[in-house]
Amino acid sequence: MTDEMIMEAVKSGDLQQATLLFERYNKRIYNFLARMTIDRALAEDLTQNVFLRVIKYRTSYREGAKFQAWIYQVARNVFSDHYQTVKNRYSNFVDVEKISDHIPDSGENEIQQEKEILLQRSTARLTDEQRELLVLTRFQHMKYEEVAELMDTTVANIKVKVHRAIIKLREFYFELERI
Amino acid sequence: MDMDKQRLEGLIIDYIDDRLNTVDREMVEQELRTNTDARRLYNELKEVMRAMDESPVLDPPESLKRTFDNLISQELEVSRPAKTVLFHPAFYRVAAAVALLILGAGVGYWINKYNTQQEGMRQLAHEMEVTRRQLDSTKQLMLGMLDNEQSASQRIRGLNVALELPKADKEIVDALFKTLHNDSNTNVRLAALDALARFQEDSDVRRQLITSLSTQRDPMVQIKLIQLMVQMKEKAVIDDLRDLVDDDATMKAVKDEAHSGILKLS
Repeated sequence: MTDEMIMEAVKSGDLQQATLLFERYNKRIYNFLARMTIDRALAEDLTQNVFLRVIKYRTSYREGAKFQAWIYQVARNVFSDHYQTVKNRYSNFVDVEKISDHIPDSGENEIQQEKEILLQRSTARLTDEQRELLVLTRFQHMKYEEVAELMDTTVANIKVKVHRAIIKLREFYFELERI
Repeated sequence: MDMDKQRLEGLIIDYIDDRLNTVDREMVEQELRTNTDARRLYNELKEVMRAMDESPVLDPPESLKRTFDNLISQELEVSRPAKTVLFHPAFYRVAAAVALLILGAGVGYWINKYNTQQEGMRQLAHEMEVTRRQLDSTKQLMLGMLDNEQSASQRIRGLNVALELPKADKEIVDALFKTLHNDSNTNVRLAALDALARFQEDSDVRRQLITSLSTQRDPMVQIKLIQLMVQMKEKAVIDDLRDLVDDDATMKAVKDEAHSGILKLS
């Protein structure tokens, strides 16, 4: 059964089917939000919000729309909505709020862990837009075509922006490494 | 071959992704063979790209599934049609309603009491968690902004964030001192000093501030530092102040401040 078919069923009232969608997408959405916020506890909260919205606003799902694009759009909205309110607290400050490093404790060796910390710290310094592009295309391995569709733009545009983001990331990464 | 940096960077990224046609690929390989800067660029880009590629996939916590299941249950409840109980004799209907009311009120009272307690505790734990997270986020925000080399005003804003922190940990204190000693911009250094002044109760901070007095060369910062010492009633610096007064290299304005400091502290 395709994601789209399941969502149609949910939309018609068969809520139990939403569990299937949860199983298929919760890890991806959680990782997306964790990489964007760099805060796993927050990512959990926001992921719950995403699925809450999927259920509550099920009627707004357009027939024939690609489910993956729809749910990612919900995730992006949840992310930016969250920072709208936190931003109001720090109204002086520009853009990205960084939250402490949360390294997955999977028994990786020290060098791997250090690299992961460097990577998190560096991605934290990117703009939201840049970080999002890298998370989607490089961490989550989404195709340029899928991202272009999600952001309603061209593949060429995405490619240029991703390149710039990688270049910026390199700068920050090796700056931090030298310290 | 003369190639501008941005174009080269783009080509190298595509090369690493194996997206280049034969002609471009050979051109890049040639460049990498002959140009050491290009070679370094390649290695660095490859490293970050690999790091992103191989970055671990995180496991969502168990609670996520549980919460989702609750969500479904709740939503199902909401959309289920209400049951109706029919009592034919109107009398019994009224009596039953009254009985239910009394019973419901009694049970409701106890449930409410229990829930209120639970809710209160949940809220407290939640608030503490939110506060902890907000403190963490404040700290990282600050460190991130201090890193900004281009904009002095951005660094100053970062230091203003430090004013929101109730307590300084070692990482923050070190970052503040690093800024105090090394930043090229006087205003940023003064802002760092303001931030540090908040933590003057901390003995480690005090100690480092005293040491700063003898190493600091920026006159405006020196003056502010002296004033801070006086405010802190730090008699230990009297000898350092005397050194400043005696040193020819010290600016007059600083000497005057030091002199006044000695008098106030003695």
